[in-house]
Order: sequence, then structure tokens, then C-alpha cells
Amino acid sequence: MKNDFVIHTLENGLRVVIEVMPGVRSAACGFLARTGSRDEDPQMAGVSHFLEHMCFKGTHHRTCEQINIAFDEMGSLYNAFTSKERTFYYGWVRDADLERQTELLADMMRSALPQPEFDVEKKVILEEIAMSNDQISHLAYDFLHENVFAGHPAAWPVLGFADTIEKLTRDQMDAYLAERYAPDNLVLVVAGRVRPEQVIRLASRLTADWLPAGRSRSRIPPVLNAGQAVKKVERFHQQEIALVFAAPGAGHPMDETAEATASILGGGNSRIFWNIVQAGLSPRAGAWRVAYEDCGLTILSGLCDPANCEKLAEALRKEARELIAQGPEPHEVQRVKNKRRTSLAVEAEAPYYRLVQIMDDVDTYGQPRSVEQRLAEVDAVTGQSVVDYLEAFPITDPGFLVSVGPREWPAS
Amino acid sequence: MEFAAEVLPDRRTVALELRVLSGLADEPPHQLGLAHLVEETIDKGTQRRDGRALSDAFDALGAQRASWTGRECIGFTCVCLPPQLQPVLELFAEMLRTPTFPDEACRVAVELAAQDLKSLEDDPQELADKLLTRQAYGPWLGRHALGEASTLANIGAADIRKHWSTYFEAGRMQVAMAGPVDAERVMDSLERLFEGFGGSSPAGRALYPVEFNPVHTHQHKELEQEQIGFCFPGVARTDPQFPVQQVLLAILSDGMSSRLFTEVREKLGLAYSVSAWHENPRGAGMIHLHASTTPERCDRTYATLLREVDRLGEDVTEAERLRAVNAIVARTETRGDITRAHGAELANDLFHFGRPVPLEEKLEAVRRVTIADLKRYLAEHPRDRLCVVTLGPKQLDPAGRQ
Repeated sequence: MKNDFVIHTLENGLRVVIEVMPGVRSAACGFLARTGSRDEDPQMAGVSHFLEHMCFKGTHHRTCEQINIAFDEMGSLYNAFTSKERTFYYGWVRDADLERQTELLADMMRSALPQPEFDVEKKVILEEIAMSNDQISHLAYDFLHENVFAGHPAAWPVLGFADTIEKLTRDQMDAYLAERYAPDNLVLVVAGRVRPEQVIRLASRLTADWLPAGRSRSRIPPVLNAGQAVKKVERFHQQEIALVFAAPGAGHPMDETAEATASILGGGNSRIFWNIVQAGLSPRAGAWRVAYEDCGLTILSGLCDPANCEKLAEALRKEARELIAQGPEPHEVQRVKNKRRTSLAVEAEAPYYRLVQIMDDVDTYGQPRSVEQRLAEVDAVTGQSVVDYLEAFPITDPGFLVSVGPREWPAS
Repeated sequence: MEFAAEVLPDRRTVALELRVLSGLADEPPHQLGLAHLVEETIDKGTQRRDGRALSDAFDALGAQRASWTGRECIGFTCVCLPPQLQPVLELFAEMLRTPTFPDEACRVAVELAAQDLKSLEDDPQELADKLLTRQAYGPWLGRHALGEASTLANIGAADIRKHWSTYFEAGRMQVAMAGPVDAERVMDSLERLFEGFGGSSPAGRALYPVEFNPVHTHQHKELEQEQIGFCFPGVARTDPQFPVQQVLLAILSDGMSSRLFTEVREKLGLAYSVSAWHENPRGAGMIHLHASTTPERCDRTYATLLREVDRLGEDVTEAERLRAVNAIVARTETRGDITRAHGAELANDLFHFGRPVPLEEKLEAVRRVTIADLKRYLAEHPRDRLCVVTLGPKQLDPAGRQ
């Protein structure tokens, strides 16, 4: 089953990336805005995410209600999400509704930011921050970034802070929108049962009056701090512990090996699962890699009874030491590769899954990768490449230790 | 054993869902949590290999596995590439028929369940849902998979083995499959793999009653937000009124144009998280609503949720009905590109109806729902009895309760 890509850049700088997927009945489309919380000024922390909400709140052609009704009339599976580096708006529909879906999303990229909706939505964002603060995993993840990247825009949470959200004005957001949602900083991604020439014609028509900003995105690579940070929160019952190490950024030649290494160490049926979770030390523990444009993190983390913090931290370090000392077993590498093959087959079935992957590829590599190409990259992972990777990005130095929960551990 | 397959010749994957008809409702009252412990430990060793080797064997086939414990069944799901289906089925048969439940794995599973119960305290929405379910569904169907700290203490490896030997048998099994499969061949294979596996006559189909308890309770907890959850009886999945309920719930909570999202979030900004859904034990149904908000706004949020449920009976429009119907149909068809979605749909059909129900038959029933049907449903099912749980720093104002 061969998939085809069509990549086209419009005169205004908007890139259009299309994958034709034979054999499916549906189509998905989305606008990637290449901006996120690390692109914000500190006093506007949270504006990217707040803007994502506001793009549903009214344009120069539609009210908020009309936008919502249009999505639901199509029975679209739609949403948007914001990260530190990206904002993505998408809809997945029956193929006959693709044009209408694309038109709606394009209109939303030119939000009118109506003041009354801005004022109401500010309350919703503050509720979202409160909700996040009540969940130990969210709080720990944000606290980790605040400390590991302290002093850098990658440090603050995607949601921003209550005080920056409260102070944010509609005009500040409007300026941010004008600069970051220019067509040369956007990508339209489409996947599924589509006709590329129709999509390109449609995109040209919809964005005919969009003006490029003519500026490229400039980001300063963050420096990973060493040390430790503890947040004592008495209302929690369990403690979240994380060890953080430097990892390669997105698009690194060792990408697949980095993912395989994290999986061998801390995915399902991994060393951490059998030696830490199945030893009864933690109900949830694992390892994963977070990849940003210019840096990455390997995080070894787990949840435990507050009395067991020392044991859990030491157990995580022991697994890291042993993987480096012994290298992976051949069957560990093979099982990770086998599961990845199944994942890729699942991904290849559904336009929405492909849409998100293409978006990620385009932002990371500048172009999409086919499932076949990614299979080849998976096949290239070997035991030796895992050993080489761990030598280049060791996980046995002290790293950065983060601890959140009712116990003040380790003591300062 | 019941088996159903949807043959989808052009797909790249096979989706498998296997259910054993015994769940939380079958646990002895002093050993709540037992069914989930069976699910957690059944793959920790067979007569042929230890737990790690069993997981390695599944992984060697690239099988993506998951499992869950429900009120009336334990489910095992798997997605694999078509050539691996036969060896995957053989591994499932080995796991389900010959588990050894090693003592140490059972001890650890009990310990982890106790820790998971503790960590539930740090997940307010889940905790509120657990409290509401226990209160609303009664002694059998209101149980939580993790049990209670006091009942977990009563469970040992021998109890886990006994529970498995009592309930895991061919007569309680349902297998649903979707993808490029040869159904006849798979059926023969299942016959062979599960031949002589306990009783083969149908079992586990009896209905457990919902004992609805319409009370309000508040649990104090230091949180930034107040969790508000409530529910009231709806209809069963097999009830002819179920499509009507589906449309009503879509009007209430499916999509950003739905009433709850519009009124609670878009107009008033009271909450980020607000939703309604239905849960269906076999032969019963319950409608749930949930929102979380900061304490000073919880009374208004609760009042708005109630008002929106009531308002459905007053002013539902043809435009809303049509939009809800279209959305249900379109979303079902769009998700149809995912093979796993077909497997799950078929498994639910077997579970609730005891047979596959053609998708078009279900969608046609939704299309036929009229405004008169919606009004009749609401008249016949008034939300006059509510079970309510709040969790957080503030109790609801008694004057606003209904």
C-alpha cells in the first residue's frame, strides 16, 4: 500500500503538505502554527495556549457559536493543542466534508479575538490552571521544566501562570497573533482520501489575502541545569520522583535509537517495569525522552510511597547503570522494533494519526516521512547503536533530581 | 464461547477483543479488588514460561496488548499484524488456560493495588468518580476495580487462583475480531485452543441489579477545585429508547456546540472540564454529569448543570436534533477507518446483545429519532432522583440542592 505526498508552498509562504491515503474513507486537516510557550515574553507566559482557545471564539466572519456549530454539523473529530514549541488545530471528517473543514480552520487562523469572549475565556484558563495544580503528575511535569530550564523560556508552563493570564490584554494577544500566525509561520497539513490539486487550489483561495511576516523563528537553545529541586505539597499522598538527563533534540540522527533506548529501559515489559514496578516499589515508573527543537531530556520517573523516595531514586539509577554496563540484550532491541512495526501499521490506517505524525515530521525535518521510511529507520536500530547512544548521552551522571509530594526529600 | 468477526480485507492490522464474563460484581464482598488482581497477575507466569518470557513472547510478535476489569467482565485487547494472529491466539490461550499466579507476583499485585488506591487520592476527578459510583450503583455494580484498602488485605495468591478457576472458562468467553481474517479458520482455531477449558455452556450472563441510591454527599479535601459529579438512571444499551438517549446526550455534551459546553464554559466561564456521558452495565443505564471548578463558583456551576438537564425537556430544537444525529453518524463512520474501533464495537455488541448488530441498523435507529421521541423520553425518565458527590474544600449550598 503506497502513500503519496504532495508538498507545495504558496506565494504567501504557507506550506501545504498532503498525504494521499488510498483505502480510507475519511480525511483530516490541520494548521500548524510554529509557535509555543517558549516563544513568549515572560510577562505574557501562557499567551500561546490562551490564543489557541481564542481561535475558537470568533472570526471576522463567524461568531464563536457559529464556529462550534459548524464543527459539530460535520460531525468532525476536532480539537487543538499547544506545546512549548507548537500549536496545532485539526479536524477529522468524512472525506466529503474536507473542504468545509479546511475553510473553517483557515478562518479560525484569523481570529477576531472578541473582547467579551476574551474576558470569559480568561476564567476558563484560570480554571484549567487550578485543575492542573490538583493533579500531582501535571504539577510535577511543570515543576521539572521550571527547574531544569530555569532562566530560559522553556521553563514556564504551557498554561502560563495565574498572574500572567490575569494581566494579559486582548491587544497583547492580537500583536502575538499577527506576528506568529503569519502564513510563512504556518503549515497546512492534510491526510486521507483527498485530491491534492483541489486542496492546493482551496488553500490558495482561502489565504489569498494573508501577508507573510518575513521573519524567521529564532530560538536560543536552553542549557540543562544540574542539581535538585523539591516541592513539598502536603495535600498529596504519594511522591513523584524524576531523574533528568540531557538527550538529543528532535530530528537527531539517533532519534529512533533514543526512543528504543527509553523503551528498553522504561516502556512496557521493560527493565524498570520488571525490576521496580513488579518489585512493588512503585505503581507507575518508567523512562521516556522528551525532544525539543534544539535539546532533549531523558526522564526516569516514578510515583512512590513518600517513605520510599530513596529506594525508588536508587533503583532508577541502578537500572540506568546496568543498562550502560551490560548493554541491551538482542531480544530487548528486537521486541521494541517489533512493537514499533505494529504501531506504524496502526498509524497508517487512520488519517488523524498520520496527520499528527506528518505535522511532527514537517516541523522537525522540514518534510514528511513515509511509513516505509520510518520502518527503515526502525530496522536500523541495533544493540550497538543503543550502546553508542548511551555513550553520547549518558544517564549515569547525577542529572537533575526532582521531587514533588508530601515529603521534603531530599533535604536541602 | 461466543465468537464474532468483521472481515475487513484491506486492513493492515487485526484487532482482537476477548472478554471473560466475570467482573467486579462477582467478587466476594470481603475481597473487593480480587477481579482486578486476577487480571493483573494472569500474565505473570504460565505452566510453560515465567511472566517475563510470556511478555517477551507477545512482544516478539509485535502484539500491542491491554487489559481492563469492568463491572461484569475482564477484557483483553490486542492489535497485531495479520500474519501474527494465529501465534497471538495461541499465547492468549496459554495465558488464560494455564496461569500459575506465582506467590510473589500476587503479593506484589496486592501491594501495587494498595499504592494505586493511595495515588487515587492525588487524582481528584477519578476519586470523585469512585465515590459517586459506589454511592449510586449499589453493592455489586458500584465497586471500584482497586477495591478498598481493608478488602485488599484479605486477598492472597490462593484467593486469586481460586477466583480464576471459578470464573475463567470457555462458557464465559466472548471473542470479537476485526481485520483481514479468515473467520472460519479463526473459529476452528479457537475451538481447538479452548476445547475443554472449564464449562462450555453459557455462563456469566445473569444481570446484576443497580441499586440506585439518590443521596447527596460531600467529602472534604484540600484542593484548588471542587469536583462535582452526579448521576441518575437512564436506559440499557438494548432498550429501544437507547438511541433517543444517545441523541439527548449528544445535544447535552457532544462537541463544543453542545448545551453544557456552551452554557457552563462558553457563556459563563465556570469550568474548563464539563461533560455528560452514559454508562451501561448489562441491562441498565446511568447518565452522568461532571464539572470541576473553584469553590466560590461551585454552587452556580451545579445549578447550571441542573438547569441544562431540565431545559432539554423544554426547548430542544430541530436544529439541535439534526446536528446531534449527524454528528453521531459522521463520527462513527470517520472512526471506522480504525480497525480497532470495529473490534471494540463488535465486542460491545456481543456483550450487550449477545450477537453482532449491523452498524447501519444502529445508525438508522439514531437517524429515526424525532423531537417527539426526545420529549417522550424526558417525560418518562425525569431526573427527579439524583445521586450527587462533591469533593473538595466547599460543600454545596443546601438551598441549591435538588
